Amino acid sequence: MVMYDRRNELIHKRVLIVDDYSEFRYSVKKMLQSFGMTDIDDVGDGDDAIERMSLKPYDIVLCDYNLGEGKRDGQQILEEAKHRELLRYNSMFIMITAENTMAMVMGAMEYKPDDYLTKPFTKDALKNRLDKILERKKEFEPIEKAVYHKDFLTAINLCNERINNKPRNIFDYLRWKADLCVTVGDYDEAKKIYEDVLVIRKLQWATLGLGKIYFLKGQYVDAIPLFQDLISENKTLMEAYDWLSKSYEESGASNEAQKTLMNASEISPKAILRQKTLAQIALKNKDIGTAEKSLKAAVDLGKKSCFKTPSDYTSLAKIYIEKKKPEKALDILGDSRGTFTNSPEANLQAAVVEGLAYREMGNTEAAQNALDEASQIFDFVKGSVSAEVSMDVAKSFFALGDADKGNKLMENIIKNNHDNEKVIKMAEEVFKDANMQEEGQKMITETKQEIVRINNDGVALVQKGRLKDAIEYFEKAASGLPENKIINANAAQANIMYMQKYGKNENLMLQTRTYLEQIRKVDPSYEKYQNLLFTYQKIVNKP
Amino acid sequence: MSIELDNPQIEFSSILASSVHEMKNSLSMLINYLDSVIEHFEKDRDSDVKLLSQLQYNAKHVNNNLMQLLALYRLENSLYSLNIGYNSVAELVDELIIQNKTLMDYKGIALEIDIDNNMYWFFDKDLLAGSLNSIINNSFKYTKDLIRISAYETDAYLNFCIEDNGVGYPPHMLQDGRRKESSISFKTGNTGLGLYFSTMVARFHKNREREGYITLNNSSRYGGGCFCISLP
Repeated sequence: MVMYDRRNELIHKRVLIVDDYSEFRYSVKKMLQSFGMTDIDDVGDGDDAIERMSLKPYDIVLCDYNLGEGKRDGQQILEEAKHRELLRYNSMFIMITAENTMAMVMGAMEYKPDDYLTKPFTKDALKNRLDKILERKKEFEPIEKAVYHKDFLTAINLCNERINNKPRNIFDYLRWKADLCVTVGDYDEAKKIYEDVLVIRKLQWATLGLGKIYFLKGQYVDAIPLFQDLISENKTLMEAYDWLSKSYEESGASNEAQKTLMNASEISPKAILRQKTLAQIALKNKDIGTAEKSLKAAVDLGKKSCFKTPSDYTSLAKIYIEKKKPEKALDILGDSRGTFTNSPEANLQAAVVEGLAYREMGNTEAAQNALDEASQIFDFVKGSVSAEVSMDVAKSFFALGDADKGNKLMENIIKNNHDNEKVIKMAEEVFKDANMQEEGQKMITETKQEIVRINNDGVALVQKGRLKDAIEYFEKAASGLPENKIINANAAQANIMYMQKYGKNENLMLQTRTYLEQIRKVDPSYEKYQNLLFTYQKIVNKP
Repeated sequence: MSIELDNPQIEFSSILASSVHEMKNSLSMLINYLDSVIEHFEKDRDSDVKLLSQLQYNAKHVNNNLMQLLALYRLENSLYSLNIGYNSVAELVDELIIQNKTLMDYKGIALEIDIDNNMYWFFDKDLLAGSLNSIINNSFKYTKDLIRISAYETDAYLNFCIEDNGVGYPPHMLQDGRRKESSISFKTGNTGLGLYFSTMVARFHKNREREGYITLNNSSRYGGGCFCISLP
């Protein structure tokens, strides 16, 4: 028998019990106390759970999935806790469920609990399970720690070490490694792992992984049948629907993409992110009815979710305007302002759409007021708004006849994404809709040239050996263009070259990591990123 | 609560799920209280704890049945995603024993385990645990005083066997899983939910062309019945 005695390790753990039945909380508390644990808190709903977790770093959260009608469920609590980084990499979240067959229906992959526990369980069963999870967490801790610090190459190396020892649970490590390879854009290595595993056994995660690789490499024709196959075998494998829909969309079959997400939403209606994506696709397909339904669902689900965004409200408001119901649009925008108080970005979005609503009502004065407010906020937030939101706001500015503000926003978007075809294409669409095709094209060309010039000036400094100046130059350029991968890559390179010449430097290391992380977010498969990551790792490993 | 019938399958599933959730909250409390009551009376040598453990047995039986019903419903309507992983066999058995230990102690049933600690296999942990749990619970009823759990590999199948020293299965229930016809059927009324569930669990475990199966015979080395679930 495998026996673990982790009594002493458990004793000092801080525990939070989340369940709507006070009797159940009491009995779990008793069990934990019998293990010698003393630091135990318990709450009856999600709001309290989140509040407690933000005040105290728990080691163990025991959370019931079903917390009652109209309340946040366990999955939503987990999502918010992970999203807000209320859980450390070495703390454990255990989902308690009434049935043992629902694990897969819930949530996205990155928001998985450490384990599931089925009600009812005895004291001994709980103890055994806690010990096992603790054991497992310890085994994986070095890898999880590296991932937490975004030190992905170290994590991959750790996986390699373990895999070389051929442990019994080698599949766990292969899965980790493949995931990490995808994270850093090394798709070929990940593909090899998935294919090797699939030769041994047709495991769901490997099939899904292979499909993702095909998708990421743009081979949609190969990706689609894999996802279809997964769904036909597992109707409740929600992740497969999301990837199938993405693959359809990228290959131009946006009706199929919408249908796929509609099927998924019927099976798992509480997934807010999917409802949002569905709304966007439906809007693209001019299916206003479906878009309205999904946006309403998103707004509703958002009340209990950390994934609510002002765009859910403004998109819905725009639909009401299009349906000639501007009053309803104003209502929903009022809700948005009430929900996202103190968020200039949210107020900016609300203000421009209010302008559109008042214009629809023929109230020019109110429309102008809204526009003035939007302009004020815009000057205040400057370039700190995300590309997607900026583009949306720009559209509204154009529609309201303020081309100046619209152009400024568009210029900023193009600057940050001058080599991102997808964004540039979207920008062209916006200009086209605003009947500004020619102007837009001119702006795109000029902005691209400007970026190339900025970049070349920096590169010239490097070539002249003026590394210190180059570092300073690129630091300034990257802060103005945080999403531009070429600028960030060259900024990282200047730092690395400096350190290669003059040795390690804490500040430069930190800065380089930020640049690298910035590129990874935009495009992990960018070849230059791979090389930089590799040379950076070499510097890290130097004594 | 309004019931929309656009998709009655999913709707019924969620009604079933939420009522099971409710029932299980009560059962959960019942079982936990019984645990503490038993613990309390344990100290009192004269008390008849056996009666209480009988209560516990029945509460667990209802609980197992509820879980199996729901799982079966989901499996048959493809609302369950089979989650095959490469799992430790010993860990699975550990949990089974822990869940049933109190009961076995009070019934005076000895346990014999023959499992290699390093054995790993491809299976859905939750489904297999559900199946084995109900078979062990069955054995409680029929065994004299011994249950043996073993696992071994033959012809690229994992065989999980539970045998006892009771009177064995009646002849009409015996079956050789490798032959296709099964004597397990609800129509003839000769089987319990546990065996039916186990048959389904076995069948859902597939590896390429091969499929899992169960075997029932009376060739236990201790003279009683022997249940085996074999997974490719």
